[in-house]
Amino acid sequence: MTTIELVDVAHMYSSGQYAVKNINLKWEPGVSSALLGPSGCGKTTLLKIISGLLRPTHGRVLLNGEEVNHKTPKERNIAQVFQFPVVYETLNVYDNLAFPLRNRHVPETVVRRRIPEIAELLGLTDKLKHNSAGLSASDKQLISLGRGVVRDDLAAILLDEPLTVIDPHQKWHLRRRLKLLHHRFKITMIYVTHDQHEALTFADQVTVMNNGSALQTGSPQDLHSKPQAPFVGYFIGSPGMNLFDAALTGNQISAGRYSLNLPQDTAKAIAGQSLKIGIRPEFVEIHAAEQPHSIPSTVKEIYLTGSSKILDLYGADLHFKARIPDTTTLHVGDTVWASFARQWLMIYADDEAVNLPLEETVR
Amino acid sequence: MGLELKNISKTSQGFETLKNLDLTIDDGSFVAVIAPTGAGKTTLLRLLAGLEKPDQGQIIVDGQDVTQVHVRHRNIAMVYQEFINYPTLTVYDNIASPLRVHRKLSNKDIDHRVRATAEQLRISDLLKRLPHELSGGQQQRVAIGRALAKDAHLILLDEPLGNLDYKLREDLRIELKNLAHERNAIFVYATTEPVDALMMASHVAVLHEGKILQYGPMEEVYKKPNHIKSGEYFSDPPMNFLPCQVQDGIAMIAPDFHISLRDLNTDLAPGAYVLGIRAHHIAIKGDRLQNGVTIEALVELSEIVGSDTTMHLSHHNLKFIALSQQFRHFDLDENVTVSFDPTQIHIFNNQNGDVVSHAAGARHS
Repeated sequence: MTTIELVDVAHMYSSGQYAVKNINLKWEPGVSSALLGPSGCGKTTLLKIISGLLRPTHGRVLLNGEEVNHKTPKERNIAQVFQFPVVYETLNVYDNLAFPLRNRHVPETVVRRRIPEIAELLGLTDKLKHNSAGLSASDKQLISLGRGVVRDDLAAILLDEPLTVIDPHQKWHLRRRLKLLHHRFKITMIYVTHDQHEALTFADQVTVMNNGSALQTGSPQDLHSKPQAPFVGYFIGSPGMNLFDAALTGNQISAGRYSLNLPQDTAKAIAGQSLKIGIRPEFVEIHAAEQPHSIPSTVKEIYLTGSSKILDLYGADLHFKARIPDTTTLHVGDTVWASFARQWLMIYADDEAVNLPLEETVR
Repeated sequence: MGLELKNISKTSQGFETLKNLDLTIDDGSFVAVIAPTGAGKTTLLRLLAGLEKPDQGQIIVDGQDVTQVHVRHRNIAMVYQEFINYPTLTVYDNIASPLRVHRKLSNKDIDHRVRATAEQLRISDLLKRLPHELSGGQQQRVAIGRALAKDAHLILLDEPLGNLDYKLREDLRIELKNLAHERNAIFVYATTEPVDALMMASHVAVLHEGKILQYGPMEEVYKKPNHIKSGEYFSDPPMNFLPCQVQDGIAMIAPDFHISLRDLNTDLAPGAYVLGIRAHHIAIKGDRLQNGVTIEALVELSEIVGSDTTMHLSHHNLKFIALSQQFRHFDLDENVTVSFDPTQIHIFNNQNGDVVSHAAGARHS
């Protein structure tokens, strides 16, 4: 059981640009975690730094508190699964799964016990004698995964977009197998992806990255309900968070004609910073008649998602979206009253969340 | 006037891709052609473009038979899944290129159109760049810009968002819908993704076995699938299909799982049928269960998709998918109570897949 930690890690390219910066992250033993972000955000660089394929230009990589910056992936006892499955095509499925054990001279009695158990979890029991060359991409990727978990002395398995080449209809089966494996062996897994669906489905602990920075680490529910940066609000959820540029006047923060009163010391603390107000479309409440603090809004467009409706709204000089049940009957051009559920309102100062009690007004 | 396909057949690579296909599209329509990969969507678009000729049948545009007219002489534009731009031309020249071909427009008119198109697609600040200096999303905006700038009568889009990540797809769907609103052209948009059709289309054509299985206003096709395949292709997650025995107004799906058919508009003869229900009409404990039919189910996998949670569930040998419109967490193999809404079911013929009856909720809402 290994704790993995990155302390003040940064990596600079020879061009002087940072691929990742100010990274302080910790993975407790047995966690299922994901690094999630758009292409170029630095997530793969971070994975290479953890595995030992890349030595960071700053900071320390710790395994159980011990610095391992100079150790190779093999010395770190870290296995990797890549986009493209790696199988030994001359070996059958059984021998593929047994390879990491035999390579380390594990007794055959252990191999005979271990392989059927792994095969069962992977759903490959019937295929153990099959030649691996003829298998589907999905089965081959299962073997790559199985070869990772077959050893019980691993520090972690790192997965880099492992479902890219899997047929879309097969993906959920692999996600289930992956979760079963994690559940059974409680081995630390760090899963890198640009796909929020994969990250949020697989991981209990998700780190959202953008422009080389780790913006927030939390459960999928945390990332949804309390995004700590505007980018997290935008990137998680569909559609993403409504974000309004805001300005401060005294103790009042305003976007369009919508205002919130802040405690005096908070207003003082964020004065002069770049401010935003954020609210997710699913937390915009729609009323047929005026309510306290509601915004009279015009429906500019209606989009169907299949299970709900997305309203494109203009009100209080703001443009925003609301997600409502698909049973609600509304038409383009209708006027509705929109209110922002106060417990889900977020304020950002210089792209960092300000958590506080709020009092709202609409002029 | 619009566009009409009459009795079109086309064999490609020895395989009869399209068979006696008929379709009539009105001007100003945004038609999503929805089908899985390999169903002939691209072949259909290539015929509409004039890039290929049908083996049989006619293509009529504004009353004129254009079946034999070469692509160069048709007023069409096409956008592909791959971002196709001229690599040595700037964004400006890429968008301007189709306008220069016919030499009918003055440079001033061309300049005006290029800038207006770039403005609509939010690429005005990229006009001097070369394609390789752009992100994938920007490159696809340029390709769309080239198609829109020339004011074609027919705009064909072959899975144009397929290679983009989901946030860009979200943005571009909204932009495409707005752009389509502003002109009287016909948009034909081939896709495997139901959400593309739901977000953008005015009409949906479901393509199956070389024919148009169902065609109509988008919401009508969604609410009232005329066939199992229509419910399957135009639904994400796919509609659940549960084989059942019907007797005395009750659908028996399993010994301990019966759904009353009182909300159907027809009485069904006793026998074997298939009951269809969409994932979001199966509620999970924690959501409002309303007056549904409840059973216990096992969570095989719970996934977070967009702002929803979809759950792969089983009840004995029965497998189905439910959707909750929240971020939810369920453990693997957790037991949950689920509730089927009997007002949202569809009954299909178990032999040929044709719809037999829709429940009240599916008919009206």
